[in-house]
Amino acid sequence: MLVHTVTFRQARQFVPAVIPIVAATGLGGGAWTVAALVVGVTLLSLGTAALGWWRFRYADGPASVVVTRGLLSRSVRTVPNDRIRGVEVETPLLHRLLGLVRVRIDAAAGAVNGKDEELVIDGVPRAEGDRLRAAVLTHRSGPVAEEGAEPAAEEEFARFDNRWLFYAPLVGSYLAVPLAGVGALFRLAQELPARFQPDIDGVQISGVGALLAVLAVALVLLVAGSVIGAAVVNWGFRLTRRGGSLVAARGLVTRRHTELEIDRIRGWTLSEGLGMRWVRAARAGALVTGLGDAARRGQLLPLGPREEARALGIRLVPEPGPLRPHPPAARRRRIVRAVTAGLLVTAAGAVTTPLLGWWWVLVAGLVLLVLGVPLGLGRYAALGHASGEGSFSVRSGWLVREQAVLQDRAVVGWQVRQSPFQRRAGLATVVACVGAGSGGYAAVDMAADEVGAFTAAASDQWARTFSARAE
Amino acid sequence: MTTTTTTTPSPVREPAWPLSRSAIGLWVTESVISSVFLGMGLAAFLIFVPAEPGTPLPVLRWVVPVLYAVYVVLAVGVRPWVRFRVHRWEITDEAVYTLTGWLTRTWTLVPISRIQTVDVTRGVLQQMFGLSTVAVMTASSQGTVQVWHLEADVAQQVADDLAHRAEQVRDQAT
Repeated sequence: MLVHTVTFRQARQFVPAVIPIVAATGLGGGAWTVAALVVGVTLLSLGTAALGWWRFRYADGPASVVVTRGLLSRSVRTVPNDRIRGVEVETPLLHRLLGLVRVRIDAAAGAVNGKDEELVIDGVPRAEGDRLRAAVLTHRSGPVAEEGAEPAAEEEFARFDNRWLFYAPLVGSYLAVPLAGVGALFRLAQELPARFQPDIDGVQISGVGALLAVLAVALVLLVAGSVIGAAVVNWGFRLTRRGGSLVAARGLVTRRHTELEIDRIRGWTLSEGLGMRWVRAARAGALVTGLGDAARRGQLLPLGPREEARALGIRLVPEPGPLRPHPPAARRRRIVRAVTAGLLVTAAGAVTTPLLGWWWVLVAGLVLLVLGVPLGLGRYAALGHASGEGSFSVRSGWLVREQAVLQDRAVVGWQVRQSPFQRRAGLATVVACVGAGSGGYAAVDMAADEVGAFTAAASDQWARTFSARAE
Repeated sequence: MTTTTTTTPSPVREPAWPLSRSAIGLWVTESVISSVFLGMGLAAFLIFVPAEPGTPLPVLRWVVPVLYAVYVVLAVGVRPWVRFRVHRWEITDEAVYTLTGWLTRTWTLVPISRIQTVDVTRGVLQQMFGLSTVAVMTASSQGTVQVWHLEADVAQQVADDLAHRAEQVRDQAT
């Protein structure tokens, strides 16, 4: 069954037309040149879009999805259904106006160089998108019991409370949104012809009051920008269970539905940034085997109260119990590492102050030295590990504190590392290698004599190889 | 020659088997080659960068060769033997187990049931010494075990055996 895709890429291709306008005005060409360029570029992009649309075919069969495309060099991609790890249905604003969706099929089958891991079927009608998603997911191997039965019951796991948007100013990634906006504005201002540029140089800030006012306005803009940014991405976030999968829907302008298979979930992470810890906020993400772009797609709760995020994770994989702190030697090690930079700068300062009179190097070194102590203590406070019934957990990090909770069966290997310093302090770092998330989760500076017990408790019996000889 | 003396006991036990003795020769050769290249680079630096009084360069003129000499002695004369004493490997009924490193030691344990692919590779230098590397890959990017410098026929035998056993006990979990 070959289906023509409806596309409207033409509309988007108008955007490049803006570039020649800028270029031509910059070069000082007349209005006619500009108009000709705009028309030419538009026609060209319309033409390529139409050709691309005309040459694009997709078909979903009982065993695989086939996508054929390309104008001169044809490419045919076949993805077997049981290699499909997830389907994402996206509706950007323009798609929504025209009643279309974009379907992304995450195929973890041999990606050639890691970047082309997904099939994108752009611009199909909404009903066709839903049909495609359902068809691709139900055709997969496994019991297809509910063929023809009523759709599986939906159960709501989480719903975004708009009050949580006020956490956004404390989250680094959302704060970056308004900053990026300001950067883009400046770049645009530089590209504009000189006569349109606002006369910034003429503005003089005089007096402390004016400076404070400017700072206050900037702060308000930053806060507002981050809240708006968070709202655009997370508006109406809803996580529901539909049969054997979790469906996350979110977005104000671009609406996005992501589907995760519960069977493939091996654990979850709870991350709390420095600012988020102040207000007990956190984000939760699922660790799913073979999921491309896991950081974005695996999100269980993008932003919310810590307890809410944690409860959500526990519904998927239970927590192994309270984390055990690491031995005092680990605290010493964290502090030593945190003050090393300060010590080096102080030593340099001790040399340069009498020789060159650079006393500020000494001051900077001492400040770094003093700041290093709370940093080390904070980093130590984050460390912890626990193992329990069927799952285990490790936590580390200071700028972003991340706790990972994983099922025992997720572990595909253990790595134990010990540097000479750790050896003297009786510590070791244990990394659980998992085929999900970042690939490895570390318990940093664990007591060396606990390693055997922890690895044995946190995975199957093969981990006893660490302590028992095979004979 | 098998036990290394440490102040505290190591966190986990040592794998049982040492590497082939030819590995020492290979490591010495590797160190000699890298020392030669590094030496050429340093010589070029000292010849072409002029020394001006008042800059730290005159000091570097004697510090750099001294550091280089220390490096060569360590890399050629000490490191291969320490490595040989540290590096060990073992294949049990359930898992592949290795210990690698020189100063920082790394123990890696991968169960045979989670093995996805087994590779045998032979570098140019390895071929001169009749050695091979067996690399065992899992679903995790960090869960790769490499058993360096086994005798070529042993390596091939190990790889065949592991691939065969992984086929039999593989579970679908990743």
